[in-house]
Amino acid sequence: MFKTILSAAIAGIEVIPVHVEADVSDGLPQFSMVGCLTHEVKEAQDRVLTSLRNIGLAMMPKHITINMSPADVPKSGSRFDLPIILGILAADGAIPADSLEGVMAVGELSLNGDLNPVTGILPVAIKAKEMKIRCLLVPRLNEWEGRAVGDLKVIGFSNIPEVLDFLRRGTIPLHSGREMPSPLLNRYEEDMSDIHGQESVKRAAEVAVAGFHNLLMVGPPGSGKTMLARRVPTILPPLTLEESLEISQIYSIAGLLSPEHPVMGTRPFRSPHHTLTPQALSGGGRIPSPGEITLSHRGILFLDEMPEFARRSLEILRQPLEDREIVIARASGSFRFPANFLLLAAMNPCPCGYYPDANQCHCTPREISNYMNRISQPLLDRIDLCVECPPVPYDDLTGNARKGSTSQEIRSRVAAVHEIQRKRFAGTKIHFNSEIPAGRMEEFCVMDPGAGKLLKNAFSKMRLSARAYHRVVKVARTIADLDGSPDIRGKHISEAICYRSIDKKYWRI
Amino acid sequence: MIKNGDTEGGADNTGGRMTNDSAGGMTDGMKMVCCGTAAYPGRLNIIPDKPETLYYIGALPEDIPTVGIVGARLCSHYGRTQAFEFGRALASRGIQVVSGMAIGIDCYAQEGALSAGGRTFSVLGSGADVCYPKSNYTAYREIIRHGGVMSEEKPGTPPLARNFPKRNRMISALSDILIVVEAREKSGSLITVDFALEQGKTVFAVPGRVGDSLSDGCNYLIAQGAGIAYSPEAVLFELESLKRTKNSEKSTGNSEPCENEDLPVKKRRTDLPPVRKSVRNPEADPGLSKEARCLYKFISRDPMTLDGLLAASGLEPSEAAPALLELMMSDYIEEIARHSYVKK
Repeated sequence: MFKTILSAAIAGIEVIPVHVEADVSDGLPQFSMVGCLTHEVKEAQDRVLTSLRNIGLAMMPKHITINMSPADVPKSGSRFDLPIILGILAADGAIPADSLEGVMAVGELSLNGDLNPVTGILPVAIKAKEMKIRCLLVPRLNEWEGRAVGDLKVIGFSNIPEVLDFLRRGTIPLHSGREMPSPLLNRYEEDMSDIHGQESVKRAAEVAVAGFHNLLMVGPPGSGKTMLARRVPTILPPLTLEESLEISQIYSIAGLLSPEHPVMGTRPFRSPHHTLTPQALSGGGRIPSPGEITLSHRGILFLDEMPEFARRSLEILRQPLEDREIVIARASGSFRFPANFLLLAAMNPCPCGYYPDANQCHCTPREISNYMNRISQPLLDRIDLCVECPPVPYDDLTGNARKGSTSQEIRSRVAAVHEIQRKRFAGTKIHFNSEIPAGRMEEFCVMDPGAGKLLKNAFSKMRLSARAYHRVVKVARTIADLDGSPDIRGKHISEAICYRSIDKKYWRI
Repeated sequence: MIKNGDTEGGADNTGGRMTNDSAGGMTDGMKMVCCGTAAYPGRLNIIPDKPETLYYIGALPEDIPTVGIVGARLCSHYGRTQAFEFGRALASRGIQVVSGMAIGIDCYAQEGALSAGGRTFSVLGSGADVCYPKSNYTAYREIIRHGGVMSEEKPGTPPLARNFPKRNRMISALSDILIVVEAREKSGSLITVDFALEQGKTVFAVPGRVGDSLSDGCNYLIAQGAGIAYSPEAVLFELESLKRTKNSEKSTGNSEPCENEDLPVKKRRTDLPPVRKSVRNPEADPGLSKEARCLYKFISRDPMTLDGLLAASGLEPSEAAPALLELMMSDYIEEIARHSYVKK
């Protein structure tokens, strides 16, 4: 007899509904599975048959065929164990034929019939809600993640007998439906005011976040670059529930959500080690899984010791920084991953870290220029702001320095600037000041005469490059927005020049 | 003047091209002078193993007051500005500046001399047609136009480490006074000082702070009796008195070289030129804003970070940035590395 049950495959970050068809008939005992399956999926037959025997439902030897449709979509992972076992039992008549109507099932089997959690439940639940599924059956540990979507019946089961009870008699397990903690949005343990002193760095971070400008911090080891970077997510505008679900979907697929907190309440902060491979950064694999740039979506990607990263890894950032997404093409198709992140980078001024202190720095000019050359100019061109992160003096450590604004205060200033930009760029493809193309500079960045003159003088005096010009103006636009000024004034230009991005000749040796 | 590609094209570390002819193929503009001829710089005769042949491009130094300026290759901003300033101030008074065109102090001193339109000469450790280091190529060309580069090595000789201490004896021999700008305790510049002392030349050192490793060598020289180069005028003053001594020696017929092994004990003198003071005072500059004047108080010749300035002055970053740009635009201060400011 033939029965079908709905499940879902994950390709990239997309969910594709999959019909799991089971046919159990007389004939030579055989178990065959078709439908573009990886070997993890095919291993299901051993888990299914063994667990059936272990829960006391040993079947007569039969000819079992499983097909997963659409058959041309690659399917991987252990999430199909549950639909396969339910399909077989239904086809064999062990559960009522109509009980699988409008039901979607996802889960991994253990040999004793227990259900183990799988990744990607949240996007599957979102898809199930879209498809108006009656009920989503998941492993017990995935239940909260599925219910995070809301308005969808999600039932968690700890083992197969519980599932059978539910399908035969409608018995919902006792542990299911427990009160779920409401997602704690925007609760950060860190706060900007934890950092004493370093006013210039904090200011640069505020400007960076307000206009979505990427930021490079230059400073010796131990000067608090990482400490500051960790706090930058706290000054980004508050996470909305929609954004939270969007981020959580990615983390769900990557298997990074915890069962207790199935929804990301904070903006991501990713700080990969510099041994990172290009594939780990962009997302990779035969069926690609999200890389670091996608895991930083709507948050911060922090590259500490940027010159130590492999050049091939760094160059990958160039396209996603422009397009805010990455498309990975594989034999199995091309996969689109969102990658709308703010890049924070940190580096030492020279290999030893003490330049320009000539008494401590013994690096030769050649060593310093080699160090700098590890970062390509096209990548530097995408970093609008650069700030020096000086070593923290004792007074600052002991709390005698100014405390500065709290994250809450900065966040509200940033949110106001984001609102200004939303209005300014309404009807265009631009979202933030950092994205203003050179051609529309005059339209969006109106300077008062004094500012224009100052900019002209500063450029000839400081011998800045032409490409630095646009970046200074864009940053000045953000600073003016923070100041609530419709026109860019001289002081905004001055501050933008103060934080101007580095170009290589800057290291004047 | 020199053949194409002999310096620019050298992609390797040696920076140059070997001549095909081992007997010394001469490049364009390369001249040669032998010991004993009239053109041979007379000052080199002081060297016991003086070079038999001197190869040069451009001109040779004349027998007029000459100052050698040497120092560390990896120098601080302080050393850089002092080298430039000494080179500039001395060259503007018609004094020849001799150095080794090495990266760092040597090159900055010669650039200073060039900026004043003066004459400056480089004694190279490589062949005179080999620019080493390559990064000094612009300076190399300028030095040839406003002075000359010379070497006792055959044209095309790569910059071999063993040739460098040797060339130092020529730098000191060509100079009346040798100034050491920045030197660590064990510095190559001290080799030049030893040669200078053997040759009976006066040695000056630019003082630095106690504890700055780049000034240890200079401070030690001062402790041993070197002149203190507290301003270019102090060096000029010494040149004058050297000239007077020379003249009086000539008139009395006393041509004994002065004894320099034991430097004379300095007495308190009142005839020395005064310490140079910065003529520019932003306090009195009405064009500057209040914030700029306030910030300037905290900026010294030591690099000061933006953050340090904010903490010291109590200004907000948005107030300090315009003030700093203002000071930079009016040349009161300079940003030597990202957010590191010094007085100009």
